[in-house]
Amino acid sequence: MDADALAAMTPGRPVGVAIVDDHPVVIDGVRAWLATEPRLTVLATGDDPDEVLRAAPEADVVLLDLRLHGRVVLDKLAELSAAGRRVVVYSEHSDPQTMLAALDAGAVAFLAKHEGREHCVATVLNAASDRPYVAPALAGAIVGDSRPDRPVLSDQEREALLLWFQSMSKASVARRMRISEHTVKQYVDRARIKYTRAGRPAATKAALLARAIEDGLIRPEEIGIYRSQASTDWPTP
Amino acid sequence: MSAEPGIARPGATAIPAPRTAGVADGVDAGRAAAAVARISDRGARVVAVTIALVWQLAIGLPAVLAAWSELAAPLVVAGGWLLVTAVGVLAGVRLLHHKPLPAPPLAGLLLAVDVVVFAAVGRPHLFGPANWVWGTLAWFFVVILWGRPVRWLLALLVAHASIALAAVALYDANSAADLARSAMALYGTSSLPAAVFAGATALATLSRSRAATAATTNAVVAEREAAERARLERRERLALVSGAAGDVLTELAQGRADPADPEVQRRCVHAAGRLRRLIAESDDVPHPLLHELRAAADLAERNGLPIDMVTVGTPPPLPARIRRSLADPLTATLADARDWARLTVVAGPDEVVVGLVTPDRPGLGDTGPPPEDGDGQVEILDERDGKIRWTQTRWRR
Repeated sequence: MDADALAAMTPGRPVGVAIVDDHPVVIDGVRAWLATEPRLTVLATGDDPDEVLRAAPEADVVLLDLRLHGRVVLDKLAELSAAGRRVVVYSEHSDPQTMLAALDAGAVAFLAKHEGREHCVATVLNAASDRPYVAPALAGAIVGDSRPDRPVLSDQEREALLLWFQSMSKASVARRMRISEHTVKQYVDRARIKYTRAGRPAATKAALLARAIEDGLIRPEEIGIYRSQASTDWPTP
Repeated sequence: MSAEPGIARPGATAIPAPRTAGVADGVDAGRAAAAVARISDRGARVVAVTIALVWQLAIGLPAVLAAWSELAAPLVVAGGWLLVTAVGVLAGVRLLHHKPLPAPPLAGLLLAVDVVVFAAVGRPHLFGPANWVWGTLAWFFVVILWGRPVRWLLALLVAHASIALAAVALYDANSAADLARSAMALYGTSSLPAAVFAGATALATLSRSRAATAATTNAVVAEREAAERARLERRERLALVSGAAGDVLTELAQGRADPADPEVQRRCVHAAGRLRRLIAESDDVPHPLLHELRAAADLAERNGLPIDMVTVGTPPPLPARIRRSLADPLTATLADARDWARLTVVAGPDEVVVGLVTPDRPGLGDTGPPPEDGDGQVEILDERDGKIRWTQTRWRR
């Protein structure tokens, strides 16, 4: 779990969470996980994102099941993200394509359902303060990303992601790489931040990037704008 | 933009490398031999067409023009010449493009021209060069009959000779000298085309059969090589199997090993894992490495170990030796594993990393991974940090 996430939180006011899932039993399960953390409070639940957010417009984080009533709701995810909603996607679809598509659409984080319990609280707390949290399944998806327009990761970032995916223990990764656990987290989070430039722009991505720059996790020039360098040589029309 | 050329290749499909490369060599050799045969035949075609047309233009035409005023029907002779030349050009073009020729009508046409020219040339030029059909026609026979049996050409030459002799008889040129000249002319103008035609036919047949023989020989060689390779692979696998299970089974059979001994149990589990993987190795599946790892995971699961196998990406086609080096160390670790295991594969076109994480526990036999590795192409790592045991194999292109 990650104590850094608390830094930006208003003391006294817990993070409001809305849960959108079409299986009541899953809602109850997630609610039970979040109940173990006093800094979190569940404001509304339901199977329709619009209704849930009408009931709790002040929710800081939306936990969204990517498949609602048999339909993959990437479009809804993009809409919410564009509107600045911090959406944490959780899904039983943990194939890399789906995860990367969710990031592209603007999800703040992605949780595979099977890794929910361990990482759910940390993810929501980080999301509330616009900080990344990369669970192992997502680390695997990023390290295996072979799309031609994928962000460029450093060797250290790739290695940290790979080992985190393999071991699910940052302490073990730190020992393996002979660096501190904090640095492991930095490498992993930095790789994640680079993905804020992939896919369409979204308010949540901008917020993640801004917070990362503010935290000193990444320098603006490191993230770069993915435009061909050759274009600057072209004569201006 | 991401510009790592090696990694930026999405969608690599894994197709197992062909086990019998020799077969492809055999087919190629056969094809090459057939190509040689085709090229040499083409050379002969060019020669035949050239001789026919050059003879027609360089010898036939000047002679006709020189004797123009003395010919019985010069326009008919010239018309026949034109017709035969046209037939020759047409046939030559089709021949060089390997297109079939309608031989019987063309042969009929040539023989008709033969008759007409003999009739139109007149007695004075019967044996003269202006009677161009004597010398040239046989070459046109060769062109239109190319690739057909020699007897067709002989039949046409006999017909040509009959027409000539009939004409000689009808012109009443029955003197011994005239008959001798006819015989000489027929022999002289027929023997060379016949020889060229027969020679070319024989060469074509010969090279075709050579090509076929070469292809057959190569196919046989390739098949034998493939069989030999399969036999070696089988023997190699058998050796691996006996290496994997032979010792512990022997010891159990001889009573030297106690089935209740945890170490013996561990060796048995390990041997079973290797056997299961070796069996999976000979299966013909799209992604052999994943298949072999899944087989190992299945077995571990059936032995009561909850195992989580997660795969990212598609491994490129890898030889069995490399796959073995990637999977075997993990099979060894799986035999020791208790409580849970996480098996991960991250694969790209140039790198495959297989990781196995299991809880570390005191008293774990420090057996380590097997020393074999694919000529240093596979990096093996086996670490314990008190919390987890981490075995990783990594192949880089």
